[in-house]
Amino acid sequence: MLMRGAGFYKLFSAAAMLLLLCGSAAFALEDDFAKIRRESSGIRTLQADFVQKKFMKILSKPLVSEGRFYYEAPDSLRWEYVKPLKSLVIIRKNQIKRYLYSEGKMIEDRTGGAQTMKIVLQEVVGWMNGRFDQNPSFKATLIRKATPVITLVPADKNLSGFVEKIEITLAGSRGVVKSVKIFEGTDNFTQINFVRVQTNAPIDSAVFQDVP
Amino acid sequence: MKKQLVSLLSVLLLSCQTLPAIDPAGKAMFACPFPFPGERSRWVHSIESRMPGDQRSSAIGVTVINPATQAISCAVMTAEGMVLFEAEDGPGGLQVKRALPPFDSGEVAKNLIADIRLIFLAPRGLLEDKGFLSNGAAACRYRDETGGWIDVIGEDQSEDVQIRRYSSSGTLKRQVRFSHKSKNFYQRVELQADEIYPYSLEMELLETRTLKKNPKH
Repeated sequence: MLMRGAGFYKLFSAAAMLLLLCGSAAFALEDDFAKIRRESSGIRTLQADFVQKKFMKILSKPLVSEGRFYYEAPDSLRWEYVKPLKSLVIIRKNQIKRYLYSEGKMIEDRTGGAQTMKIVLQEVVGWMNGRFDQNPSFKATLIRKATPVITLVPADKNLSGFVEKIEITLAGSRGVVKSVKIFEGTDNFTQINFVRVQTNAPIDSAVFQDVP
Repeated sequence: MKKQLVSLLSVLLLSCQTLPAIDPAGKAMFACPFPFPGERSRWVHSIESRMPGDQRSSAIGVTVINPATQAISCAVMTAEGMVLFEAEDGPGGLQVKRALPPFDSGEVAKNLIADIRLIFLAPRGLLEDKGFLSNGAAACRYRDETGGWIDVIGEDQSEDVQIRRYSSSGTLKRQVRFSHKSKNFYQRVELQADEIYPYSLEMELLETRTLKKNPKH
């Protein structure tokens, strides 16, 4: 049961974390995923805002969330939702902490969610190095068109029951990630649009510190 | 440790509560408190759940209720948009469309739907008693279809409303408190559940919308 939940978290986090590949993916379309791996080594930091829209049949209009990403090589990450539900994941030196907003402050999530995210981190580290086509749980393809699309389809039957596919759309010739769509099923998908993406800009180390 | 002890004591105190007497006081002349939505509507809440040991988690809950048909549709998702649970319940019975841990237990799903029904839909049972509790609060008591009781209580001073569900043996099982400060009872809802694994929910309204009476689906 835990693995089913963990796998699902992986997929969701995967879509979000693929932002980290945007710089490298930009140059990958000429060739293949090996190019991504080469180019990703040039990313030292990355930060971006994101707008997430959740589409479901039960919702007549999408539920909109907003947040911000920070990444610093080799292994620091901050993934923060600021509204409507505040939550935060901080990964640093292979340690992960998850927080939720309660009674006016961020408190650590001790329900096991953080440990689930640790599994995700191991996955993400691979992706940050451009190795997102080497996970046997997914089949990754690049589709060349005006707005190139990377598609991840679960190869693992345990995962395919929860997520049908993940689509990453790149924008323009430089291939900056425009959006990520996570399809969970019929009439149920999550779209994340990334804006104000900055690569290799300095990030205050406090961003990756634990919340006191 | 202190928090855990207080939490445990609260639960124990709750579980010791039994069906309180209602003083009819001359068949009190008041309208029964009615916080429930009167129309088909959608409600989106942030939900913080607490379990013993001060374990907390958060989620977003979407609920569509139809008072006319007693139908409920609901979804629970994480901040990341991951749908943990999705189900419909109505005259045709409970249909779980999606259930990930910990919602993949039938008992959890059943309790979740029962909690939603308690919060959003007026009691279906007959009004059995009406009057005042010992603290002066106006109360209407309904016989639950499972043999228990549901009290809907209006607090005179705060204008808050409470719902209390008791088992057939008179043990308090659920306590729901609506805060009336924002003039929308569903702006802030608190639920305290007394089970083998007790839990509480704090719900904050994110958005609501009245829907067409006759849905296409």
